[in-house]
Amino acid sequence: MYEEPYRWIEAIGNRRQYLDGQFRQGSPVIGIGWDAGILLMTTSKGTPKLYEIYDRLALGGMGHPADLEKLRFHLLEMAHVEGFNRSPSDVTGGRIVKYGIAPVIKQAFEEVFKAPFIVKILLAELGQKVEKDRFLTVNFDGTFEEKSQYAVLAASPAIEQEMAAYLRQQSVVSLEQAVNVAVCSWAVGDRAQRQTLEESRDQLKGQDAPARLASDSDLLYEHIRQCMHGMTIECALLDRHVPVSSKYRALAPDELERLLPNDLGHPTT
Amino acid sequence: MGMQGDFYQVLKEQGYVLGVSGEAGAHQHLTTATTILAFKYLDGVLVAGDRRATAGNLVMYDRTDKVLEIDRHSVMAIAGVPATAYEMARILEHSFKYYRRTQLQELSFEGKLRALSKLLKENIPAALAGTGAVVPIFAGYDSEHDAAKIYFYDILGAEFEGVEYAVSGSGSPTIRGILHYVNTWGEQPLSEMPEEQATVQALRLLTSAAEFDSATGGVNRDANLYPVVKFITTAGVRTIPDSQLRSLFELNVCRGL
Repeated sequence: MYEEPYRWIEAIGNRRQYLDGQFRQGSPVIGIGWDAGILLMTTSKGTPKLYEIYDRLALGGMGHPADLEKLRFHLLEMAHVEGFNRSPSDVTGGRIVKYGIAPVIKQAFEEVFKAPFIVKILLAELGQKVEKDRFLTVNFDGTFEEKSQYAVLAASPAIEQEMAAYLRQQSVVSLEQAVNVAVCSWAVGDRAQRQTLEESRDQLKGQDAPARLASDSDLLYEHIRQCMHGMTIECALLDRHVPVSSKYRALAPDELERLLPNDLGHPTT
Repeated sequence: MGMQGDFYQVLKEQGYVLGVSGEAGAHQHLTTATTILAFKYLDGVLVAGDRRATAGNLVMYDRTDKVLEIDRHSVMAIAGVPATAYEMARILEHSFKYYRRTQLQELSFEGKLRALSKLLKENIPAALAGTGAVVPIFAGYDSEHDAAKIYFYDILGAEFEGVEYAVSGSGSPTIRGILHYVNTWGEQPLSEMPEEQATVQALRLLTSAAEFDSATGGVNRDANLYPVVKFITTAGVRTIPDSQLRSLFELNVCRGL
């Protein structure tokens, strides 16, 4: 029945709606770059969502763990074969996203008889110089965007914009600040997502939507504290100054505890 | 198969042909010859190698790096045909990284040893034809057993543990005897030597090898040319800078020269 064009458009529309719903309760992902490197941050319940892809490439994801895993392997394989056949410096985020996974995600999204990838991806690329640092985000329909300085993944474009607006106002010069800003930005996104969920429920019940809370840091910390039960803050770093070729490292729990603001460190353990 | 973290398999699936044909160039002069050594010292393992590459009686290059860092905790010292050896090192480096990134854990030390053995086994036809013989030493830190270890191989891929030391290359027969002598009747066994003393020992051994083997490069102070010396400890692989080798050489090796 999808042979007719308008049926196909309808099917794609349904699929978009279905996928939008899938991300509503996901954990936002934040990438921030500064002089010393790039920080990726998210929260997880056991299964990690931040990964090393290549010497200067890191991945953050939202969505279904099995889909994320499949795409992660795809990226890993492509990056390693490319790096082996050419040179590690020829493995760029742009190349593996634009020629590698974005077309695969797009194809799966548009083939309405097959399952789509329930996944949004953030790929961080550490350049040789700060100006060359890049972030690439890939949406569930295969559209990708290239950004510098920072990038985020959240349930909807509106929430992503809210997080980006928060990030735009912050300055980051140290790892501690990066962690702090990332965690607060996560709280901005997560709170907005929860409110959107509540709003949709209230609308169903015919009630007025609650007003959005201001984004001052005490409120954000309070929000994180409330969310921290059974959840782990996950941080990974692409460190420009390590002398070895692989620049990726995950921040260990004790290191993270020292870097986290106030008493947020404790619930992570 | 790629899902199992085997980069070697991924290469095969991509149609990458490893090694060189056994027939081609069997009668050509190939770049070769070396002295490499590894021994256990107080804090871990020392690996060292000279820097000369020769083709027949021609010195091709005097700044070859034959002690290759494969990852943060392992080193492959190469003796034999550099083209094949460098290719093996490149495959290993990518394999270990690929495994770590896919499986989210380091490949075990035993796994690393087998990976090199597998490459040597694949290379048998080229090695027998004389176009790609490689006789490496593999040393690394085994975190499961909390110890730095040394292994040496034959060209067919058999692995042997060098409990105290291992040598390879054309200059190795000379220093094998010295190592045995020093370790058995010296002031103290190799494994009790502190870092500086171990470095001096390595410089003396390579200088002796160069004295008797024309294919082993010695020290050329005018050209600021020193062997490569690396240490493997629990903290990982560390290279001794040339400036330090220079002062140790002048203080402790020059006397008899």
